[in-house]
Amino acid sequence: MEKNIITSPRTGDSCIHVKHSSGLDIYICEMPGFSSVEALFGTKYGSVNTMFRQKGDADYTVVPEGIAHFLEHKLFENEDCDVFELYAKTGASGNAFTSFDKTAYLFSCSQNYQESLRILLDFVQKPYFTQATVDKEQGIIGQEIQMTNDSPEWRVFFNMLSCMYHEHPVKIDIAGTVESIAKIDADLLYKCYYTFYNLNNMVLSIAGNISADEVLAICDECLKPCEDKGLETVFPDEPEDIVKSEIYEVQPVGASIFNIGYKCRPCSGAERLKRSAAASIVSSMLADASSDMYQKLLKEEVINSSFDTEVFTGDGYFSVIFSGESSQPGRVRDALADEVDRWLSEGICSKDFQRIKKSTYGMLVRMLNNVESVANLMMNSHMEGTGPYDMISVLSELTEEDALEFLRNEFRRDRLVMSVIKGDEQ
Amino acid sequence: MRYNRTEIARNIGFSSIIDEKFKTGSLTVRFMTRLSGETAAANALGIGALSSSSADFPTLAKLNEKLSSLYGAGLSTFARKRGDVQILGLTASWLTKKYAFDGEDVDREMLSLIRGCIFSPNVKDGEFDAESYAITKKDLLDRIDAELNNKRGYALSRASEVAFRGEPAEYSCYGSKESAAAVDSAGAYSAYKELLSDAQVEIFYIAPVEDPGFCDMFRESFSGMSRTPSPVVFRTPSPLSSEVNTDSDEYDVRQCKMVMTFKTSSEDFFAVKMLSTIFGETPVSKLFMNVREKMSLCYYCASRVVSAKGAIMVDSGVERANIEKAKAEILGQLEEIKKGNITDSETESALLSIENTVNQIGDTPASYSGWYFERFCEGNSRSPEEQLALYREVTKERIIEAAKSLSLDSVYLMLDKEADA
Repeated sequence: MEKNIITSPRTGDSCIHVKHSSGLDIYICEMPGFSSVEALFGTKYGSVNTMFRQKGDADYTVVPEGIAHFLEHKLFENEDCDVFELYAKTGASGNAFTSFDKTAYLFSCSQNYQESLRILLDFVQKPYFTQATVDKEQGIIGQEIQMTNDSPEWRVFFNMLSCMYHEHPVKIDIAGTVESIAKIDADLLYKCYYTFYNLNNMVLSIAGNISADEVLAICDECLKPCEDKGLETVFPDEPEDIVKSEIYEVQPVGASIFNIGYKCRPCSGAERLKRSAAASIVSSMLADASSDMYQKLLKEEVINSSFDTEVFTGDGYFSVIFSGESSQPGRVRDALADEVDRWLSEGICSKDFQRIKKSTYGMLVRMLNNVESVANLMMNSHMEGTGPYDMISVLSELTEEDALEFLRNEFRRDRLVMSVIKGDEQ
Repeated sequence: MRYNRTEIARNIGFSSIIDEKFKTGSLTVRFMTRLSGETAAANALGIGALSSSSADFPTLAKLNEKLSSLYGAGLSTFARKRGDVQILGLTASWLTKKYAFDGEDVDREMLSLIRGCIFSPNVKDGEFDAESYAITKKDLLDRIDAELNNKRGYALSRASEVAFRGEPAEYSCYGSKESAAAVDSAGAYSAYKELLSDAQVEIFYIAPVEDPGFCDMFRESFSGMSRTPSPVVFRTPSPLSSEVNTDSDEYDVRQCKMVMTFKTSSEDFFAVKMLSTIFGETPVSKLFMNVREKMSLCYYCASRVVSAKGAIMVDSGVERANIEKAKAEILGQLEEIKKGNITDSETESALLSIENTVNQIGDTPASYSGWYFERFCEGNSRSPEEQLALYREVTKERIIEAAKSLSLDSVYLMLDKEADA
C-alpha cells in the first residue's frame, strides 16, 4: 500500500492518495487548524447507470429507473437499527445523496471521527434488505418524488433535459417515478449492490481535523477485500441532435424561471476536464454581470441578478446551462444565440478572458479553504478520472483559442433548448 | 484564533477575528433597526443599492468588473429578520494577497472598494443613481415574487405572519411588494442615510493576518457623522393567542405543508434548545423517528427554535389526508416529553448533536461572524466552549419544564387544490 502525496504547484495545498489493498481508492487531506471532519464514501453509481454487466456475463442487465437512489435509502437501515441511531452515539451528522453518476454516504463531525468512520465503512459494506422494508420505502420515496415535483427549479431542469436527450437516462428524475420504483424488489437491490458497491468501483474521501495514519489503520481494520469483477456500464446510443427546442410547464410560482441549455458533445477524463474549463470560462464570460449581453438584458428588465450559468457533465452527457428568472425567457435565448454569433465573427475579448480566468482561479482556491469542499473535490475528481488540483493547472494553461474552439463547436443554435416554468397568470 | 471587539463609536462594534488557517479575508457589516411595515422595503432597497454601484464604480458592470479582476471577490447585500429586528447587511470576501499570482494587494483594493460602497454610494442630487437603482428595485420586487417558488420557505414565512400578527415580526424583511413598488430612489437613499445615523451597527472582519486598516477606516468614516443611534431590543417574546389560529392557502401543489407554531414564556434558552433538538431537530428525534419513520405521515417533520420570539415552529410536508393524523401525532410526541418520557440516550444524542454543530464554529469565516453576532444579540460574548458548558448543565427536569411551557399558538396550512375538488 503506497502513499502518494499530491501537491498543487500553484497553491502548495496537498493531500494523500492510497490505493488500498482491498481495492478502494482513498484520499486524505489533513487540514491543520480546522475542527471539523468531512468523510464521503462513494460509489460510481448514479441514476444514469441503468444498464450494466460484469466480466463473464453474456447479457446486459437493465434495471428500473430510480434504483440507485432507492438503494441509497435502503442501505441506511441495517439489520438491527437505523444508521442515524449509530451516528447519534458519536454526535456526527450523517447523510447520503444520489446524483446522476454517483452515490455517496457521508458524515461531518467535530469529535469522535474515528468511531464515525468505522460506522460509515461498516454499514456501506453490509447490505440488509427484506421485501417488507422495500415495500415501506416505496411509500416514503413516493412522497419524495411528489415533493420534488413541487419544486420549480427541479422541474425546469428535468424538462430541459427531456428536450435535449432522446435516450440517455440523464433525462429521468434521479428518484425515478412512482411506477418505476414499484418494480424494485429486494433481489434487484442485492444485484445492484454487489455490482456497484465493489470497493474497486468506490472511493473514500476524508478531510479536516484527522490523522492520515489513523484513517488508514481504520481502513485496514474495516475494509473487506474485493475482487475486481470488471464492471461495464453502457448507455443507449444518443443522437447528437436535440429532441425539441422548447418546453413550458405551469406551476404555482411567483416568478417565472427558465433553463436555457446547449447540448454539447460528451467526453471523459482529461478531455472532459479541459472542455469543462473552456465551457466554464465562455459561459461565465457571457453571463458575467459586466458583459454586454447581461447589461443589455438587465437594462431592458428581461433578467435580474438571479441570472447564472453552470456546466453540467457526466458519463455520456455534457451541457452548458443558463438559468434565471424572467417573464421573457425567449428574449434571453435569442440574445444569447446572437451574442455567440457576434463573438464567433468578432472574436472574444482578451481582457475579459483573462479577467474571468482569474476570477475562476480565485473561486477554485477558495474551495480549498473549506473542509466540506475539499472532501467533495477529492471524491469528484477521482470519479472523473482526474486529480484534485488538476483543474487549477488546466485553467492556468487554457488559451483564448481553446475557449473559442469550444464556443465554435458546441454553442450551436440547433443544439439550444429552453425550458420554462410559469405561473397561471404569467 | 484571536477575537477582539472594540466599540468604535456609540452603538457601533468592530470585531476582529484573526485565524491564520484562512486563505480569504472577509467582512460583514450589519445595520440593525426595528422591523416595521412602513420602512422594511425602503431599508432593503437602501442597502441593496450599495452592491449595484458606488461613486468609484458608477455602474454594476464596472463594479463587477473590478470584483472579478480581484480573483472573483464577492460583494453582496442582504436583508434578514431576527425576531422584531430587521438586519440589513453588506458582506464581502476575497482571496488574500498571498495567493494573488500577479502580486496585487487584494486586501487594500477591497478595503477601498468597501469604503466606497458604504460611505460614498453612487448618489446624485440626494438620490441613488437612477440606472443602478432600477436594477436594485427590480431585483427586490422579483425576490418578493419568487418567495412562493420555494414552497417550504414560503409556508414558514406565512406561518410567521399568522403567529406574530400585530407584532413587527409578522412583516417580511423585504417589506411587501406594494410598499417596495412605492419607494423611489430618493426614498431609498433617505432610508439608507437613516440607517447610517440611527441604526445599531456591528462589523466583523475575519482574516488570516491582522490588518488594522479596516477598523481604522470604519472609525474614521463614522467619526465624521452625527449619529443618534436607537438601540434595538433583540428578544421580544410573542404573547400566546387566546385560541389556536388556523390559516390556510390553496395552491396547485402535490404535497401539502403544515407549520405549527408553539409559544413559550420560558427564559431557560438552553433547555428550550435541548427540548427542540430531542423533539424534532435530528434524524433520531421523536418527530423523525415516529411521525416520519414509524407512521410514514410526513416526508419531513422538523422543529426549530425562534428564540427572539419565544417560539418553536414545527414544519412538515404532508398529504392532505394525513394532516389531522400528523397534527395529533406531533402533539402526542410533545405530550410524551411533557410526561417525562425521554430516554438518557435521547438526551445524550441531543447534546452530542449540539456539540457537533458548535464545535465546528470557526471552520468558515461565516460561522465565526454568525456565532459572535448571535452572542452580541444575546448580550454576551461567550466562546463556543463556554456556551457548550451551559448546555451540559441542562437536566432532564429542565427539559420537561421547557416542554410544559409550550402551547400551540397557531397552524398554517398550504393545501393542494385537486384533493379539494
